[in-house]
Amino acid sequence: MSNTVRFWLMVLPGTVFLVVFLLLPLIAIVVFSFWRTESYTLIQDWNLDNYATIFSHSAYLTFLARALVMATCVSLVCLAYAWPVAYFIVRYGGRYRLILLLSTAAPFLTGEILRVAALQQILGPIGVVNMALTRFGFDPIEALMYSNMATGTGLVYLWLPFMVLAIYLSLLNFDFALLDVAKITGAGPLRAFVEVTLPLNRAGTAIGIVLVFIPTLASATTSQFLGGPDGALYGNILARQFGSTGTWALGSAMGVVLFLASALALVIVWRAVGDLRRSGIVIKGAPKP
Amino acid sequence: MSDCMLRLQSVTKRFGTTMAAESVSLEVGQTELFALLGPSGSGKTTLLRIIAGLDAPDEGRVLIGGRDVTRLPPYRRGIGMVFQDFLLFPHKTVAENIAFPLKMQGKSRAETADDLKWVSQLVRLTGLEERYPHELSGGQKQRVALARGLVSRPSLLLLDEPLANLDRELRKRMEVEIRRFQLELGIPFIYVTHNQEEALTMASRMAVMREGCLEQIGDKLALYHRPATAFVAAFLGSPNTFEGDVVGVEDGRAEIAWHGHRFWSRAHDGLAPGLRAVCYVKSEKIAFASSGAALAGRLRDTIFKGQYADYLVCLDDGHEITVSAAPDLCHRPGEAVGITWAADDGDAFPAVGKE
Amino acid sequence: MNHRSGFGVQVLLLAALYLFLYGPILYVIYVSFQIDSIWPFPPTLTLEHHTDLWQRRDYHAALWNSVTIGFGTGLIATLFATLAAMAILKYRSPGSGLVAGLFLAPLFIAPILIGISSLMFSRTVLGMPGSIFGATLANSTYATAFALLVVLAQFARYDWRLDDAAMVFGARPWRTFWEITLPITWPAMLGAFIVSFLLAFNNLEISFYNLGATPTLPTLAWGALRHGISAELYALAAIINFAVFALFTVLYLLLRLGTIRID
Ligand SMILES: Nc1ncnc2c1ncn2[C@@H]1O[C@H](COP(=O)(O)OP(=O)(O)OP(=O)(O)O)[C@@H](O)[C@H]1O
Ligand SMILES: [Mg+2]
Repeated sequence: MSNTVRFWLMVLPGTVFLVVFLLLPLIAIVVFSFWRTESYTLIQDWNLDNYATIFSHSAYLTFLARALVMATCVSLVCLAYAWPVAYFIVRYGGRYRLILLLSTAAPFLTGEILRVAALQQILGPIGVVNMALTRFGFDPIEALMYSNMATGTGLVYLWLPFMVLAIYLSLLNFDFALLDVAKITGAGPLRAFVEVTLPLNRAGTAIGIVLVFIPTLASATTSQFLGGPDGALYGNILARQFGSTGTWALGSAMGVVLFLASALALVIVWRAVGDLRRSGIVIKGAPKP
Repeated sequence: MSDCMLRLQSVTKRFGTTMAAESVSLEVGQTELFALLGPSGSGKTTLLRIIAGLDAPDEGRVLIGGRDVTRLPPYRRGIGMVFQDFLLFPHKTVAENIAFPLKMQGKSRAETADDLKWVSQLVRLTGLEERYPHELSGGQKQRVALARGLVSRPSLLLLDEPLANLDRELRKRMEVEIRRFQLELGIPFIYVTHNQEEALTMASRMAVMREGCLEQIGDKLALYHRPATAFVAAFLGSPNTFEGDVVGVEDGRAEIAWHGHRFWSRAHDGLAPGLRAVCYVKSEKIAFASSGAALAGRLRDTIFKGQYADYLVCLDDGHEITVSAAPDLCHRPGEAVGITWAADDGDAFPAVGKE
Repeated sequence: MNHRSGFGVQVLLLAALYLFLYGPILYVIYVSFQIDSIWPFPPTLTLEHHTDLWQRRDYHAALWNSVTIGFGTGLIATLFATLAAMAILKYRSPGSGLVAGLFLAPLFIAPILIGISSLMFSRTVLGMPGSIFGATLANSTYATAFALLVVLAQFARYDWRLDDAAMVFGARPWRTFWEITLPITWPAMLGAFIVSFLLAFNNLEISFYNLGATPTLPTLAWGALRHGISAELYALAAIINFAVFALFTVLYLLLRLGTIRID
């Protein structure tokens, strides 16, 4: 039995599983997006009406545009925040690196709903911040409750760990001695960062951006509870098709559009990375001890 | 060979387009220390892995003790191996590491203890049994790896550059020790290295590998003094290279014209008058001569190496030749010298397909 | 920016990050023990909300369902991820990149898409209504990606030639796995299990669409939150957070342990 045969035998169970339960369902919604729904049943009747609906009603496109703006802002905030944090952990974390990193990731695993609940308790109209303000005779801050600002904060809260993780992993494989080389040859700290550190961690940064952008673009729960009446995003409208209205075919088409938007974002970010060999990606390297 | 222990028959192994082993045939006798020498990437490890059963050859057969083991998995071949980076099991103590092959054979506790004692004494490890690999020095790890390879008294021991990671002093000592184990145990060792000194020190017979092919197999002195191919001639020792035209060939000798000089050298297959030839002469075979010198030049520099010295001689036409000789020759830089060598000390090969 | 001030700024940012991440969580835990949950100052300690929560039958069933999904997902994801990581690192066969791409793809697909697509697929193509089973399978696709990341990061330190060494010294493949591979790499596998368990246990956006009428803790909490935040939600959040931190401590110790010294 050759190694190639052994390889395929070992990856086969997982591959079959993912093809059946991940890829086939995704293909299925592509197919259903060309059908139509009638009183909660899918009817095979090939047509483009669902897409026509999405692209002719400005409402759908508005929600999509809102989600795109939201995802872009959240990704940028996460990016700006995660870089110094990840840098610090890798550079100065020493033997506490792992615990510092895991601490940023732990809240992620408590799940979206409980984190939204916790945030509501802080930001909401009866959240502790506004309660304190009114107690001490100030006006409550409107922006904190039921606004896009609150949704954005919630999304950053939810997905920031991904960005930190991606940049952290990238920096782990970065040789900090290169910075000394840059400094010896006359570059100041900022210059060294721009000329050496950033370009060599482009790929990791790009992965972080994509990891934050894609789920944010589709977010529904956070905006549902923090966004208020005008805070609905594309994800909320998408979810509605599978809930009360039961328009699955239209929902599938919306899902396909969402998927294409994510894929487009992925491609754009990836193109920006450019040549992988010079972007600091390490295919095989084990992390430094 | 009547007492042949290991036999490879036209073993071939490809990795994609790389030929890691190309029709390799080889026989190793019952009590030999056989060295496999070759530059990095020439396929030495691949060959050992095929012998061990870790990789299957694409073509050809492997026989151990007369039995065809080509299709046998490694755990049924009953051989020992010392790996390139030792590969000690990090979660097992020295004693557990060494006893691992015995455990796999299901040996009793008493037998295991006996064998452990025997091998610990053989490789001088007594007292370290309870340590973990990360608590050992490089030399100690090396001994543990050797002990693990030897403990089950295999019919054959494979060693893959076992000394490559040791410093020079330790390497010299271990070279002698490994030879001693081999003599004491009387089993064949197949010793892979890219260090020719190691191979020349330890082996009785050796083979030189190049890009998956065996260039030459034989007694180590024969390989050194009578290289059969241009590659072997260039690889062993530190030869001077002369590329010139063949003027004449007779009696297995060729006369080479090189930059206006002419000299004789042993001729290998394919030389004919008018062809280009490369001639290799090992630097220690060139001698200074006051009269009847083949070439004349001036001494440019002397590089002292301890037991000998390299004299760099600059010929009148600007070419440089290295002569290795006793370090106490009182030549001064700039001094005019003549050099010469015997016809049988040069090996001339056709220049086509040369390195 | 000179070195010292840069360092100080970074320390501040890190501290602010932890405050941002943990402030709400700690506050919720605090509130869950307070009588007045709107303005709990000065503190008035009570266990009322927690005892209330324990008496709610619907939460018991939901907890059990969540544990089932978490366990199932943990097992499936860990098994597939471990096998794949071993195959990728050990055999370095052509196709590794493709397989790794497939296994990590869920990271780049929004959870809600996984949720709705598996809903549509199982309902329409497989003819299965929503169930714990369907939710477990859908969660497993997502969790496998995370499990693979954990396992790959740890396995990358393992020298697969140790397996070769064991085989040469007479160990059959299973014996090799049992004697060498498993004792060195089990922390990575348990770590992957913990991560995928927690992901599925707390998942809302995938489970929600695949559960049918079956309640889990996140869907129950989602329903409760729609009627405004209530006291037992604080208690629930407090307990779940405690559980996550307990498991995370285990995970940390495992990852520490997992870095076997190979030198
Ligand atoms: N698993 C593999 N996949 C693809 N190519 C391989 C593999 N193993 C070895 N090779 C190739 O086969 C050739 C021989 O490799 P091998 O490891 O046998 O060389 P070596 O003589 O042991 O070198 P070194 O002295 O550096 O250890 C090399 O070109 C190598 O790149
Ligand atoms: Mg080798």
